[in-house]
Amino acid sequence: MADEKFDAIVVGGGPAGLTAAYVMAKAGMQVIVVERGDYCGAKNVFGGIFFTNVLKEIMPDFLKDAPVERNVTKRRFALLTPDGEMGGDFKFDKFNKDFSNNSFTVLRSKFDKWMSDKVEAAGAMIITGVVVDDFLMKDGKIAGVKARMDDGDLYGDVIVLADGVNSLLAKKLNFHKELDPASTIIGVKEVIALSEERIRDRFGLTGNEGAAYEYFGYAAKGAIGSGFIYTNKDTISVGVGATIKSMLEHKLNPNDVLEAFKNHPTVAPLVRDGEQKEYSAHLIPDGGYKKLSKMSGDHVMVVGDAAGFVNATLFHEGTNLAMETGKLAGETAIEAFKKKDYSAVSLSLFDTKIKNSFPMKDLKQFKNTAETLEHSPKMFEKYPVLFGDLVSELFTVDGEPKWNKEKRLIGKLLTSENPFSLLKTMMDMRRVII
Amino acid sequence: MKQFTSMEDKLGLDKFKAFEKTHLSIKPGADPMVVEHKLFICPAKVYELSDKGVPIVSYENCLECGTCRVAAPEEVEWAYPQGGYGVTFKFG
Repeated sequence: MADEKFDAIVVGGGPAGLTAAYVMAKAGMQVIVVERGDYCGAKNVFGGIFFTNVLKEIMPDFLKDAPVERNVTKRRFALLTPDGEMGGDFKFDKFNKDFSNNSFTVLRSKFDKWMSDKVEAAGAMIITGVVVDDFLMKDGKIAGVKARMDDGDLYGDVIVLADGVNSLLAKKLNFHKELDPASTIIGVKEVIALSEERIRDRFGLTGNEGAAYEYFGYAAKGAIGSGFIYTNKDTISVGVGATIKSMLEHKLNPNDVLEAFKNHPTVAPLVRDGEQKEYSAHLIPDGGYKKLSKMSGDHVMVVGDAAGFVNATLFHEGTNLAMETGKLAGETAIEAFKKKDYSAVSLSLFDTKIKNSFPMKDLKQFKNTAETLEHSPKMFEKYPVLFGDLVSELFTVDGEPKWNKEKRLIGKLLTSENPFSLLKTMMDMRRVII
Repeated sequence: MKQFTSMEDKLGLDKFKAFEKTHLSIKPGADPMVVEHKLFICPAKVYELSDKGVPIVSYENCLECGTCRVAAPEEVEWAYPQGGYGVTFKFG
């Protein structure tokens, strides 16, 4: 490919890279996407909900043929104790009628492949099964990428780095430091087959409705993490994640944590009797605002997980942040293409666009989430036990007068924990999760 | 329905295509005990110590998550496997 030169090279065929490629190709740019998997989606893993607000913008009729699994109308949030849960959920039928919450469970292997077909149809070239290891430099400036294959020098005016959470390429440019073990989550997941009828009955769903159950507190054997169950069409995605630092401190292996989660008395009845189909693992960059990468430089922009765009709060958004940053990078590249100016100054338009975007505003609002969680280990070990004891005793009917019981339990709470410390933790948590 | 609980069995569910060369290694000169001190965190148990205390790296089971390189950046040499090789997720 030595003689060919592209207007844009996108490294990585996930939602961020594919969106950037789609936007640029639609505007008539010559675009190539380089994906290391056998096809786009082959290496891609997430929890389960694809938030489609940005997808709807760029492909308004995506629901005609997009391989979505279920439309998420129900979400449940629960605090796990070692043997139980305290939780609440919401479910709205209007989401079932107008899909207005833009939340669908998907399986990435199918979904990203579908998206890549749309990108090809829009005119971009996609090569798969190829790793990009480095940049090509010319006169001290980035002029392309070195793909690990024969004749692998690819030249392009602008490089969009969408190479995911590990982004070795952005690191090579010193755009960001190595991932911090305290704010990087290792997530492991199983996809388990269950009949559609069982899924509907177990999760209280009708038709193609879907549910997202998220578990906090004692969900990761005391490590700083959480667990989830998402319903697909005829499978469920069950997983846990915790920070690498906290897993190391607790001497935990992610699979053992997943097994404990699946065998938890609350979770076991929801996942039992299914046929395990796949086991996967993936990192989540949960550092948020404070850990974001540098976004742009001479001839280069960074998008999606590679730049650190994940909302680690209760909202757990990632795919839509990836798509929005990909879209904005694409729009920036189009401007640069028109001006024939791919300098750092020209591409700094991306930073301006990002600054005013919903991903950045959301991450900024919750800029303390990762640190607050790291400094609140009690939320994952001590408090779930304490709250579980109080609630289970309060609702134990044993002839003790309620006034007596309430007074006694308040006393118990005050002797088990400094009330100011508890109050501070609860207020901190509120601020960083919703 | 038979339930797989061990990681070895679960990895059997996944589709792997091993390249002839490893993409992972313990850096020369690094303390092999990093395997016991930190690399127990690998979700695919890629790293083990032999009876003689030499690290064994079963790169063919790697799920390509990157946990090892973040957990032990000083000790682990990490690259993406050759394009088209490694794990392929059918669900993801």
